[in-house]
Amino acid sequence: MEVPVAIRPAGQEPVDASLATKSAPAASPFSRLARATALSDQQYKWVLLLPAIVVIFLLAIFPMAFAFVVTFTNWDLYLVDPPKFIGLDQWIRVLTDIGFLIPARNTIVFAAGAVTFEFLVGLIVALALNNCGRGRTFFRIAFLLPLMVSPVAVAFIMGRTMFDPSVGPAHDILVSLGMMPIPWLIDSFWAMITLIIVDSWGGTAFMILMLTAGLQSLPQEPSEAAKVDGASEWQNLRYVTLPLLAPVMVTAVLIRSLDAFKVVDIIATITGGGPGNATESLTLRVYNIAVRGGDVSYGATAGYGLVIIMTVFTVLYLLATRSSVSAAIGRER
Amino acid sequence: MKQARLVRSIVVYAILIVWSLYLFFPLYWLFIAAFKTQLDFSRYATYLPWVDFTPSIKPFVTVFGGTGMDATSPFKNSIVIALGSSIIALILGSMAGYALARYDFRAGRIRNEHIILFLITQRMFPVAVLAVPYLLMFRELNLLDTQLGMIIGELAFATPFVAWLVRDFFAGLPREIDESALIDGCSRLQVLRYIAFPLGAPGLVAAFILVFIGSWNDYFLALVLTFSQGITVPLFIQMQSSLVTGVTPWANIAVITLVSILPPVIAGLALQRYITRGLTLGAVK
Repeated sequence: MEVPVAIRPAGQEPVDASLATKSAPAASPFSRLARATALSDQQYKWVLLLPAIVVIFLLAIFPMAFAFVVTFTNWDLYLVDPPKFIGLDQWIRVLTDIGFLIPARNTIVFAAGAVTFEFLVGLIVALALNNCGRGRTFFRIAFLLPLMVSPVAVAFIMGRTMFDPSVGPAHDILVSLGMMPIPWLIDSFWAMITLIIVDSWGGTAFMILMLTAGLQSLPQEPSEAAKVDGASEWQNLRYVTLPLLAPVMVTAVLIRSLDAFKVVDIIATITGGGPGNATESLTLRVYNIAVRGGDVSYGATAGYGLVIIMTVFTVLYLLATRSSVSAAIGRER
Repeated sequence: MKQARLVRSIVVYAILIVWSLYLFFPLYWLFIAAFKTQLDFSRYATYLPWVDFTPSIKPFVTVFGGTGMDATSPFKNSIVIALGSSIIALILGSMAGYALARYDFRAGRIRNEHIILFLITQRMFPVAVLAVPYLLMFRELNLLDTQLGMIIGELAFATPFVAWLVRDFFAGLPREIDESALIDGCSRLQVLRYIAFPLGAPGLVAAFILVFIGSWNDYFLALVLTFSQGITVPLFIQMQSSLVTGVTPWANIAVITLVSILPPVIAGLALQRYITRGLTLGAVK
């Protein structure tokens, strides 16, 4: 198909009207609407963009600003007194409250454990998938499956029924192998491990998808050149493939980490934050403070606490990986 | 050499098969769990139908036959909310995405790339911050525990994502097609109707499926905004499985869970070719 190249910049009307309307029926409702409204092309661009911008402003930017203002008040839904501005009290409260610091620690431990595990397993599976000949399409599509299943469903199937302390397979198999049963959901350490295992079902699928796509987009020449120069397969992987893959790894880990910091659904379904508050995440804490407890000011402040943790993490992570990524690429040059 | 290749094949397939087992066992477990009775859950773990338990369709009857736990209202809510928010987000988002791919915007120092980056950062933003303002705003507007409130809430995440994904898709189609149609005398609306949207259909379908899956599977927004009439399926599953009093109705929840994962899984697998780029957030070409 030959595509005529535009000489005129988009937006100007053609001079000769008889050239018009070859590609579209003239009397369609669209052309009538267009003629009736008679906007210029430069006006259309705002008509197209603005509705979405208005929605995002009303539902994201304004609420965030509103929440920020609320952090300086003492608004409580269950108190009759009208809210007053109290300055930085809520922020000071966040920094000293064990009810914020413990969920903050839980969230960081969960994110670190889950993302590390998912990255390592995801990398191994992605490399296997990339080296697989027969059945590759089947495995590739099957490994996408967890990305479509809701975390609550996974949490129910795995966390609740499979890790059930008395009738779940995770208990049953250990016992039939003659091993000590593990107190999966009762002990605070094992409850966190259970959450990480359940999260890895979906999280590793994301890593596999990202890293497989990254591996496939790598140029072939460097690894072929290394082969010609006599590099072993292991050397090729270690010194050619993985350094080239580094930028994709950095992105995958960042996206997955930011998602892991927001964890709430699997925790609410499996442990509800327990035992005690050993697995309560910050997002679940915000819900407990603000929606169940009615203390919206403190809930908003705790929510901003999570934003600050995620921002600090992102900045440090990008600073730390920028040097390693450029070093990895530099070594190849 | 030949031996090395054989060893490599064995290692590769061993990894793939182990991961497949890890992947499919929970799905198998859910599938058989939906055909177990409450009694099968209370004694010991059972793995094989007809060998160590007798499959029964009684839980399906209890859940969808109106003889006990009623899951029809959460399912109706989930369908209305997921479809409603995805359709509105698709309309608003694809208009904005097309505009960002085809026009140059200038507002002060803001350019197209700033808007595009802002759209994708919305995907990363913690929803915990929005919990409080949404609760207060929706309470004021009497939208708590309603389908409309949930549709509006979901738009906050779906609209920027659709706009970003559709922009990304149109950026990969040559501008010259649109421009030549404009020179031939089409109006911009005609270009959209007869050229851009038909050519961009794969991108629009991918965007729709991804936001539908996201909205269908979303839990936290429903947790904040709904509590009885408006609850969605994920919230229903979580509430039923964490009942403080009484016996957890395992068999019934298993049925609901099994039915609830079917729409996104079928849609996602059928259209997996189109949605990969959206799932990786454009990080990989």
